[in-house]
Amino acid sequence: MSCSPFDLKDYFLQELPSAQRVRVEAHVKNCLGCREELERLQLTGAALFSLRDEEIPQRIAFVSDQIFEPSPLRRWFSGFWGSTARLGFASAAMLSASIIYFAATRPAPAPGRTAVATVAAVTPSPREIDQQIQQAVSKAVAEVEARQAEKNRQLVADFSRRNDEALRSVRWMAGELDANRKRAQVTRVMAMSQPSEGGEVK
Amino acid sequence: MIFRAVEDADLIRQATRGNVESFNLLVSRWEKRVYNYLLRITANREDALDLTQDAFLKAYQNLRKLDDPGRFAPWLYRIAHNEAYSMFRKRKPETDVEEIEPEATETKITVGGSSVFPMELSLAVASALERLSADQREAVVLKIYQGFKFEEMAEILSCPVSTIKSRLYTALELLKIELAPMKARGVS
Repeated sequence: MSCSPFDLKDYFLQELPSAQRVRVEAHVKNCLGCREELERLQLTGAALFSLRDEEIPQRIAFVSDQIFEPSPLRRWFSGFWGSTARLGFASAAMLSASIIYFAATRPAPAPGRTAVATVAAVTPSPREIDQQIQQAVSKAVAEVEARQAEKNRQLVADFSRRNDEALRSVRWMAGELDANRKRAQVTRVMAMSQPSEGGEVK
Repeated sequence: MIFRAVEDADLIRQATRGNVESFNLLVSRWEKRVYNYLLRITANREDALDLTQDAFLKAYQNLRKLDDPGRFAPWLYRIAHNEAYSMFRKRKPETDVEEIEPEATETKITVGGSSVFPMELSLAVASALERLSADQREAVVLKIYQGFKFEEMAEILSCPVSTIKSRLYTALELLKIELAPMKARGVS
């Protein structure tokens, strides 16, 4: 049983990354058991490589025969048909083209005069559309002006009412002041006309 | 102008456009490796050659289905593996792949004694490989002789990486018991 940090067979088969190879090499230097195991694997590998590759007894080559060679169009078609990606792309392109075509072109009306007349009756002319727009704009402007005039009238009425009230208050205050002045004069006259305690008139 | 080596991906792209010469160049790069892979799992030179030709023909016919040219090697070996196992099933549908008799490496030798020579070592290796199960042998061939990574082997053999590792580790244990002492006795 190997105590190496990584499998010695993986090391021998060169399936370990370089960092792990370095760790195995460091371990093998200090571990006799793993060193002997690795040596056995390397001896086995060396023995296996004593069996040499043989030369191929007959070279293989293909010739282009025009009779059996498919035409370029057929080669392209078979290549196109054999590729899922190309087929998918072609399908997507056809779908996109059809969507663009139907979006750009309106559906053709059904033939016959009745259908044409119906379409003409239903579809207003540009002049009629302009007139309708003008009418709608005039109506909206009149409504806005009426609302504004009503608002102004209410403001004026409110202002007049407040003005009247203020005027009445001022008049009442003036009356009160006048009355107070008169009462003060009467009081002063009466005080001058009363005799003093000594029988003299002041 | 920048010069660079022609890579497999370049050849694959040109071959996909119908350039047969590019594919032939690709074949010349890979035929020896594929042949030796098939030779070691079939143990028959004639079968290995036929299967190599079939594998490359099928690769040419299906080259447009290869989405990533960088995965050409596992893809090609997957085709070769399928061709070999298809042949095994056709030839002996009632028997298991394990029971197919090898042709070229029929010499069985017993590993033991005091010393062996290089030729004897090669025979001993061939004999030890034959004693492995077909799955273990193919795993050893793909890893040791063809140099594939575990993930690529899983792609070629259509099985999980854990299965690949299990087959390979068991095979290595068996091979180690047979071959390491022999190699240690001084055969280089």
